Amino acid sequence: MASFGRFIRLAVGACAFLLVIAASAPCNAQQVNPTASSVKEQQLLQELNRIQGRVSIPDQRSGVLEQPAGRDWREFHNVTLRWIGGIAILGIIAVMVIFYLTRGMVRLESGRSGRTIVRFTAFERFVHWMTATCFIVLAISGLNITFGRPLLLPLIGFEAFSEWSQWAKYAHIYLSFPFTIGVVLIFLMWIAGNIPNKVDVDWLKRGGGIVGHDHPPAYRFNAGQKAIYWIVVLGGGAVAVTGYALMFPFYLSGIEGMQLAQVVHSIVAVLFIAAMLAHIYIGTVGMEGAFEAMGTGEVDLNWAREHHSLWVEEEQAKGQAPSGGTPKAMPAE
Amino acid sequence: MKAFVAALLFAAIVAVGVSILLNTIQQPSSVAFTTEGVRVGDPGHNLIGPG
Repeated sequence: MASFGRFIRLAVGACAFLLVIAASAPCNAQQVNPTASSVKEQQLLQELNRIQGRVSIPDQRSGVLEQPAGRDWREFHNVTLRWIGGIAILGIIAVMVIFYLTRGMVRLESGRSGRTIVRFTAFERFVHWMTATCFIVLAISGLNITFGRPLLLPLIGFEAFSEWSQWAKYAHIYLSFPFTIGVVLIFLMWIAGNIPNKVDVDWLKRGGGIVGHDHPPAYRFNAGQKAIYWIVVLGGGAVAVTGYALMFPFYLSGIEGMQLAQVVHSIVAVLFIAAMLAHIYIGTVGMEGAFEAMGTGEVDLNWAREHHSLWVEEEQAKGQAPSGGTPKAMPAE
Repeated sequence: MKAFVAALLFAAIVAVGVSILLNTIQQPSSVAFTTEGVRVGDPGHNLIGPG
């Protein structure tokens, strides 16, 4: 009887032992990975285009951890923009040099008559020169922002570059206000004379007389000048709007808007600079008798007849220009 | 020449006037972003800015 009891105890003990072993073994048939369906970083990035969360810092923008579009923007800002700007500005300078060496200055073929006609009033010249001088400073300070560090810093060193850039930045920001005022005034002052018409089509077909010795008729502003007008108004408007968006960061948009503002501001600005270099060329070196229009406000009558014949007729009809007169040069006496 | 000089003068006056106006209206970021819970400290003297 005792041996039977020992056998029972042995059997129960063995069963209990086996049960413990079986219960503690891992269940291989149904293994569950608890993080299998949780969100991965790449999935989040693709769906939201960014990784962001909640932060307790007052500046909520610090909650954005990754914004991959920013890397594309950085590539544009550091590389692409510098290529675009370099090609546009150096390119237009090269074209002007070649043009001057081959075509030369556009001369006043019938010579000076000695009589003048008022082309621009004092107020018009005031507005033009205010906008133009602001543009020069804005252009130089703006180019410093893009090209200063790689091109100027190695030449003048950190201390000088830092001091210069500080002043350039203040100049850029504060002179933008008179520049914007000037662009608005230019728009209002000269909109009437800058609406494109059929005379402009003919003028353009004849190349504006820039090649050869043609003198296609034009009113107060020819097609080339109308192009400059609209570049100033539209380009100036674009740099002003995007510039103020950049000057007052995140007032109008989030980070994508700021990146877009910088892209538009910088591309329009470098193209604007290229266009204004051509404008400065034709108004100074490129054409005899042109600078006086903005310098003194009066141009030689023969100059006006050669380049703006329809405008001279209008002015003579209004009694605001000397009528008649010979188109030939008066002999010096 | 008068128009040119007047233009420079006017641009300078507007620029200086705007700088005075903006400096009066705006606060440095260390002041603007400080709250009771978060103190954004003095940025120091080796950065561009006031002081």
